[in-house]
Amino acid sequence: MMFKRHLAALSLAALMIVAPLAGCGSKDSSTSTKTEDASSSTTATTTNTDSSSNTTTDDSTKKLTGDFEIQYFVGGYGDKWWKKVIADFKAANPDLNVKESGGPKINDQMKPRWVGGNPPDFVYIDGPNLNDRQMVEDGQLEDLTDWMKDATNIDGTKISDILAQPPQLFDGKVYDIPLVLNSWGVFWDKALFQEKGWEEPKDWQSFLAVSDKIKAAGVTPFIHTGKYPYYINGAILYPAIVSANNNDISILQDMADSKVEAFQQPAVLTALNKIVELRDKGFIDKASIQINHTDSQMLFLQHKDAFIPNGLWLPNEMAKDVPGGFSFGFIPSVTQDSGGKVVANTSTANVAIAKNAKNKEAAKAFLQFIFSEAQASQWAELSGAPSNIKGDISSSSAPSHVKDAARYLTDSNTVVVPSITFNADVDKAMQDATDALTIGKITPEEWVQRVVDVAKKVKK
Amino acid sequence: MKLGTNAWQRNLFIATFIIPTFLFFCVFTVYPVLQAMYYSLYDWSGSSDNKTFIGLDNFKEMLHDPIIWIGMGNDYFLVAGKIIGIMILATFFAVALTRFKFRLANFFRSIFFIPNVISVVVIGVLWNFIYNPQIGFLNSFLSLFTKDKVDITWLGFTSHTIWMLLPPAIWAGIGFYMILLIAAIQGIPESYYEASSLEGAGQWHQFRHITLPLIWEQMKVSILNIMMTTLNGSFVIVMIMTNGGPDNTTQVMGSYLYQMAFTQYHFGYGAAIGVLILVLSMITTVILQRLMRQETIEIS
Repeated sequence: MMFKRHLAALSLAALMIVAPLAGCGSKDSSTSTKTEDASSSTTATTTNTDSSSNTTTDDSTKKLTGDFEIQYFVGGYGDKWWKKVIADFKAANPDLNVKESGGPKINDQMKPRWVGGNPPDFVYIDGPNLNDRQMVEDGQLEDLTDWMKDATNIDGTKISDILAQPPQLFDGKVYDIPLVLNSWGVFWDKALFQEKGWEEPKDWQSFLAVSDKIKAAGVTPFIHTGKYPYYINGAILYPAIVSANNNDISILQDMADSKVEAFQQPAVLTALNKIVELRDKGFIDKASIQINHTDSQMLFLQHKDAFIPNGLWLPNEMAKDVPGGFSFGFIPSVTQDSGGKVVANTSTANVAIAKNAKNKEAAKAFLQFIFSEAQASQWAELSGAPSNIKGDISSSSAPSHVKDAARYLTDSNTVVVPSITFNADVDKAMQDATDALTIGKITPEEWVQRVVDVAKKVKK
Repeated sequence: MKLGTNAWQRNLFIATFIIPTFLFFCVFTVYPVLQAMYYSLYDWSGSSDNKTFIGLDNFKEMLHDPIIWIGMGNDYFLVAGKIIGIMILATFFAVALTRFKFRLANFFRSIFFIPNVISVVVIGVLWNFIYNPQIGFLNSFLSLFTKDKVDITWLGFTSHTIWMLLPPAIWAGIGFYMILLIAAIQGIPESYYEASSLEGAGQWHQFRHITLPLIWEQMKVSILNIMMTTLNGSFVIVMIMTNGGPDNTTQVMGSYLYQMAFTQYHFGYGAAIGVLILVLSMITTVILQRLMRQETIEIS
């Protein structure tokens, strides 16, 4: 009897030890769109037993073997293109074991692997909490400067020739290549404007004039998301700074470098005063300050507001909620003076190879695969956004706003601002300050002072 | 130590239960705390391979950081507001459901407990909708009484938005403490109340002189619990509802830690904030315990 009791107690204790350990296995967190998930950081990822690096240095017609892992963020552009291009790459390289890790939270999920020095081979840098400038500073990306000089894609064309926008240079070196070319800008509903007889804006004066009309008709002219002030910064403030600076984009590049003098230029104050003008005329929807991007976009789609600053992913992101008859009108900037040039503040999403990648050959081959002209149309069709690969997409079945945007971006009269990444602290200071400016808490001079203080600290 | 004796077997038995849990406790609770203290002495971006030792510089910087002071202020504001709000309402409901002799008392008990069961994230999203200026319940309700449509941005005040985070926090917390106090009140023998009502004591008198002293221990525990969970957990509701905004006015220490460590790549500084939260929690616990010290009145 006593023995049985002891046995029961001991087995219960053993169960208590083992049971929690079972929970230590791969903790599958909630994302829905990923396929094979490599996020269980406790189990080691498969290391190559056979030699993964091929000894010949030709292009991708040689056989790639071993493992190859790709990390890609899934957001407004969806994952249709990624799945298609990876499947095509797999078909072209049957001996290569390709692993894909994608999802809306993939950046956070993969972070421990980057920190632990065991990152995936190839990464698509997009989404929150992943910043290419920071990754370069942390020494996590492979230096591609020399490779880019002669790299050709699978059609034989030099990759650097077909990029619409060149890679951003960090201290003169190339670490990531822009894949997606996006532009910030202002959207409206063409159908609504036609119905109400409102003119589509071409510059600041016409924008203010039509907003007056819109306000008189009982619709709020302008809404933005106060929770994420980088929308209004990207689509209104930065183009305004460039326009006020005689279309010289170097001011933004100096700001990105946290140079204090850049923020103290009069162009910045002029641009800030445009936002003040919007605020004082009552054009900005009062609800903006507390809502997030999807809320503001829903109100825009429901015609409660006429204009919204956003990026070209907007129609794709809200595809399920767009009412019938809605037609997206888009212009990259409205802050230029009458007769001035349109400023396209582009943002790119880049791809890079990890410094600690195990299969760099396969990663480079993948780069050659995706930077081909066929992929320009395929990307535009499957993701609803322009690609950074120069290619005529007018005959493709890409959505019309993408074709419109591509038209603006290739027009010689448009001032194209290449993609710029600010320092994280300075960026946050600018966002907080813009929020405070839109609710009248601070003046433009105080905006400049705040950001200058942070820039000084960063530059130290 | 003689193997095979009763004492040895008993100790072994006890150890088999304690040791695994203790190990987990050390690995998942103690070790991260030590790690946080370690990282707080470094300047590390959170993702690079190298970090630089800077000693107490992170803490020195915290002294000059205005947002830290805003965060501490907001944290303690939430602590005070929640303690007062939850304790008053929970006590009132507990007394009402036990002493006032409702017929539907059990039903109301379950209803009041439901907010506790809902995840904090859901509560945050729910109250976001309630506070929404255009389609929110609050503004629609107030518009019933006014001529023009009310469109106050409840989460967009220049400096007082933190007040709007109290109602969801209190609403979510009442249930648990109410149940605790109900159990405490039910432990008081009915005879005390009968005796007092025979002598002509009303409800308020009974509450003040019988109920309150006898449940004081549980109230003390509740207050300490509210304080500790708020200092650590207010992060969730702030992140969901306001993301620390507008313009950092609703930052609490937890949300600022997250922002610094993960969005602005200053992991060492974030760890230093974590150490600050730890120290403040300990100090506040000691102070509260001193303030609430009162001899336990035993039921003889």
